[in-house]
Amino acid sequence: MKKHKILIANRGEIAIRILNACRKLGHEFVCVYTKEDAQSEHCTEALKQGGPNTLYRISSYQDPNEIFAVADDSEATAIHPGYGFFAEDFRFARRVVQRTRKLKFIGPSWKIIQDLGDKINTKRVARRLNVPTIPGSDRPIVDDLEAEELARSLFNFQNEQGVEQPVILVKASAGGGGMGIEEVHDLDRFRTVLRGIKNYARRQFRDEGVLIEQRIFDFNHLEVQILADSHGKVVHFGTRNCTVQSIGRQKRIEVAPGFYPQSISYAFDADKVLNDIIDYSLRMAREVGYNSIGTWEWIVSPMGNPFLMEVNTRIQVENGVSAIISRIGGQEVDLIQEQIRLGLDERMHFEQKDIRFEGLGIEYRILAEDPENAFTPWVGRIENFSWPDFPWLRMHTHIPRERAYDIPTEFDPNLALGIVWGQDLEQARDRGIRFLNQLVLEGRNYMGEPLKSNIQFLKENTRKLLVF
Amino acid sequence: MTEIDKQIQDLKERLQYIQDIFGNRENANVSLLGSKLNDFVQALPSLGPSQIKRQLGSLSDLFTFLENKLEKELTPMDRVRIVRHPQRICLKDILENVYDNYTEIGGQGEYSIDPSMIIARAYITRNVGKKIYKQPVMVIGQEKGHGQEFRNGGSVKPWGNAKALEYMKVAVTENIPIHTYIFTPGSYPVEDYPGAAQQIARNIYAMAGINVPVVAVISEGGSGGAEAIGLADTRIMLSHGYYSVISPEGAAAIEGRAKSGGRISPELVESCARQLRITAQDNLKMGYIDRILQEPALGARPEHFDFFKKLRQEVILATDEIILSVRGIKLFRAIALRKLNNPNIYVRWGLSQKSGERLLWRRYQKYRSLSQWAYRDSTPAWQKYKRAVSETSWSVYSFLRYEFFGRHQRAITHLAEDVQGEVHALFGRAMHKASRLLRKLPGVKNEKEEVCQLTTLSTWEEGMSWDEHCRYISPQANQDRTLPCPNTVKFNCLDLWAPDLFGDFAGVCSHCGHHFPMEYEWYLFNVFDPRSISEFSPRLESLNPLDFEGLEHKLDQAKKQTGHKSGCMTFEADIKGIRVVVAMLLARFRGGSVGAAEGEKFSRAVEQARRKHMPFLAYVHGTAGIRIQEGTNGLIQMPRCTLSVRRYLEAGGLYLVLYDTNSYAGPVASFLGCSPYQFAIRSANIGFAGPGVIRETTGLDIPPDYHNAFMALSRGHIQGIWDRREIRNNLHHALRTMGGEFLYYR
Repeated sequence: MKKHKILIANRGEIAIRILNACRKLGHEFVCVYTKEDAQSEHCTEALKQGGPNTLYRISSYQDPNEIFAVADDSEATAIHPGYGFFAEDFRFARRVVQRTRKLKFIGPSWKIIQDLGDKINTKRVARRLNVPTIPGSDRPIVDDLEAEELARSLFNFQNEQGVEQPVILVKASAGGGGMGIEEVHDLDRFRTVLRGIKNYARRQFRDEGVLIEQRIFDFNHLEVQILADSHGKVVHFGTRNCTVQSIGRQKRIEVAPGFYPQSISYAFDADKVLNDIIDYSLRMAREVGYNSIGTWEWIVSPMGNPFLMEVNTRIQVENGVSAIISRIGGQEVDLIQEQIRLGLDERMHFEQKDIRFEGLGIEYRILAEDPENAFTPWVGRIENFSWPDFPWLRMHTHIPRERAYDIPTEFDPNLALGIVWGQDLEQARDRGIRFLNQLVLEGRNYMGEPLKSNIQFLKENTRKLLVF
Repeated sequence: MTEIDKQIQDLKERLQYIQDIFGNRENANVSLLGSKLNDFVQALPSLGPSQIKRQLGSLSDLFTFLENKLEKELTPMDRVRIVRHPQRICLKDILENVYDNYTEIGGQGEYSIDPSMIIARAYITRNVGKKIYKQPVMVIGQEKGHGQEFRNGGSVKPWGNAKALEYMKVAVTENIPIHTYIFTPGSYPVEDYPGAAQQIARNIYAMAGINVPVVAVISEGGSGGAEAIGLADTRIMLSHGYYSVISPEGAAAIEGRAKSGGRISPELVESCARQLRITAQDNLKMGYIDRILQEPALGARPEHFDFFKKLRQEVILATDEIILSVRGIKLFRAIALRKLNNPNIYVRWGLSQKSGERLLWRRYQKYRSLSQWAYRDSTPAWQKYKRAVSETSWSVYSFLRYEFFGRHQRAITHLAEDVQGEVHALFGRAMHKASRLLRKLPGVKNEKEEVCQLTTLSTWEEGMSWDEHCRYISPQANQDRTLPCPNTVKFNCLDLWAPDLFGDFAGVCSHCGHHFPMEYEWYLFNVFDPRSISEFSPRLESLNPLDFEGLEHKLDQAKKQTGHKSGCMTFEADIKGIRVVVAMLLARFRGGSVGAAEGEKFSRAVEQARRKHMPFLAYVHGTAGIRIQEGTNGLIQMPRCTLSVRRYLEAGGLYLVLYDTNSYAGPVASFLGCSPYQFAIRSANIGFAGPGVIRETTGLDIPPDYHNAFMALSRGHIQGIWDRREIRNNLHHALRTMGGEFLYYR
């Protein structure tokens, strides 16, 4: 096997997980950090495991030019983008493989990132393969009359489906991240809303096309973990349920598998739904020639109808919760290691039938925030952070335990991930509560007020997990 | 002061004048005059009165003799000094001496919106037989005012030109001829509304359609300033004047900068003046003036009353000729012939409607036929023949399609629409009820289709075809390098990777929208429908008509570099299915400068659009102005192309102009600036003269964004600013909104 030097273009706990995976695979690594992150454990780990030449300070994680400068200076041969930042930036991925000094990009090929990053394209691929998508348009609608006709039929459709208060969404097709979206509750208001969105889209994106979709309420958020190599082999690592979220739609607890019909009763055939979304996801991954790790996100309506939402062409925060229930040859799986292997063009050395699933995993995202007050982030200094060691617990964090740590405000507020494994739902829940009870997270802000965390929120939600 | 003192003073002034004209040059004759005069003055106290008288007489004869001799030694640069000399005749002298009476309009010395532009209503009295006729004229011209500072040397500000235009229109209303007198080194290059370039464009465009006779007299014909009032039926040039695309100093500055980057030597100025062929003789030979009016030796000064008499006759004759040439009745032609020998026949100066139209047609033809020798058309004979045949058949087709058939069709369509409306009003209610009933019967089927549309793949043609566009990869995108955005300091833009920037972002900073320069090929592929471009007259070639030193080589280089034979590419292409004729000025070919070949191609493109009833787009990838090395051959393209444009617009055409990068000077001040729909890409700089020229001519230091598109928009020079990534959509939109139902032709 050729030895690589992998530049980790990310920070925090994922940087640590990637560098550990590199070490286990026998590759060298290079880490970067910015001045706000100097106290992060990912820097300490990098120095400890790789020596002084493996850590570079940069001014921003978002500037590709700096990343490439580091890559060239350190003679890296591959880049792992982690999640966030450049993970789903097809231009970055393209530049990695097209620049004069070419590198390996640990992730799907840039063309796939581009195609699946385009929501309209993804929806159209899905519909071509008879994969269910959210009812509504699958192309930008420019014509007002056409839009109104579509809106009318969407209201009719929902009435027929027995939806009591049908709502439709009008989105700017070029938009994203919640910009340029509005709800319409009755058809009479539609035209006004449409005008508004079109004007906004024309100003903001120079493209006045809109998408019109049904708004689905009270759904569960499910995911299918896919892994594929560049030689056409595609496998899955089961499903996850990520329904527990903050009001800003940020995930707080993820559970694998996605439903638990063994002890919870559902209004629909939960096993069938899980199998269906796995099948659909595999079908699409094969169709587009997917060649890395990736997640197919689904929403499942209270009636048990799944709809494809989007595809994440990257490693996700919650990959560990799928890994903890997956066994290959009796061994627990490390999906990041698998991703790196395939990213360096190795073949997948196992089949779907080699993958066994055991028990149930719960991942808690531990944050300093105030769930009672709209999940407002708490800013200050962590003085005491500790947890007990359990064989069934995996803890991922970049927060140092032996010294105080000021939470930087520039980045994602995640502090730690605690992944708990149990034989069944009962045991996993109990262990989860036990873990949360023994977890210590204390600190003060500059006004002397004590740290606020979401631990209580996590505990409360543990009881209700996987209940639809 | 005694008579003698006065005469001596006179001679001294004549000597001073001669010395001024000949500048620093050593000349035996000039020094001879100097020493003779000096000797005489020294000897004066010892001389008796008769001796003084005799010597003065011979001295005066000597002056006249040598002046005549020196006259033959005048270089082009000497002529430039003559017309700029404070003793040179000026417009006020002409008003006093050529016309019988006049009233100055809107000016009293320095109290005027622009003292360098004078408007006067004047008349000329003519005794024919027993009758006395007063023939009214509108006199318009620049005033240098014998060195009066507030006259600004005849350099007219935009509002001065606007005033001129206003009174040209008055002359049209009053149906009286216009006499213009050109005494300008060039226009004052400020952009304040109405804007130097845009106002000149407006003037030229208007003059292209003024249906009264226009006679222009050129003394100092400097560039755009001259053209602003110079589009005349007859152009008379004073023998000591000059008419040039740029002042010799300006040309030298441009040439000199290219060569050494240092100071400009007088020799270079002298050589530029010579090479630009700016004299009356040169311009007559090239055909840009109609005749020369001989001045007294070393140029006309206010005391040359004979000259004014000649000038008076000349302008009367010119006006008569114009009038007679367009009078409808054949009989008058005979008179016209006789008239040339007999100045006492009276010609009425008013024109009928029909004659006015003939006058315009004649003016168009006159300018259209100019500068034909200054380019080369190396199209093979059979292709030329083919072109002629196709042009004729297009004319016939267009006539049938739009004039003959179109008119009837429109009538029929309108009638049909009316009938439909009536029927609808009558049966609408009944139909509505019936259809509701119908819908209830097979209702289920209807709904199914709707659901289908909501959950399964729809057909989507439009977006797909754009993706499949035959892609153009900019050579700039094939480099692994990053470019800093100039707005980094202001907006924190990250450096841009060339393949992203030029391959995907159309050369636009994805953060702040800064436009980097993009080569014209990009537009060919990204604005027009794939494979829809068909170029015409590609073999029309730029030449070096004046044998200007070094131009040959530069042209060869440009031709090799671009693969084009001139700086103007003309083609037909589709924009989302709408066929347009396009003339594109290529920045890479000698800065996109316009010479005889470019002007001819532009005119032909306009004519093609007119013939085929298509919209016309001038896409200015960049233009530095008129190609100065072609001299007046280039300059004449300003009125020439504008006349074509006007003819096209009046026939109902839609003319769009799109500026991309730097667009300056002549073309903007004429055939581009006259479009009612001028748009700019964000990267454009639009103006009359660049910052260097402005500093040189006005002494003003302008801010760096003085000419940028947003400033141009706030001054009202252009009608909108577009993002480069949106050109295709915006053009299509513009074609649709400004075109209308019967696209482009009323």
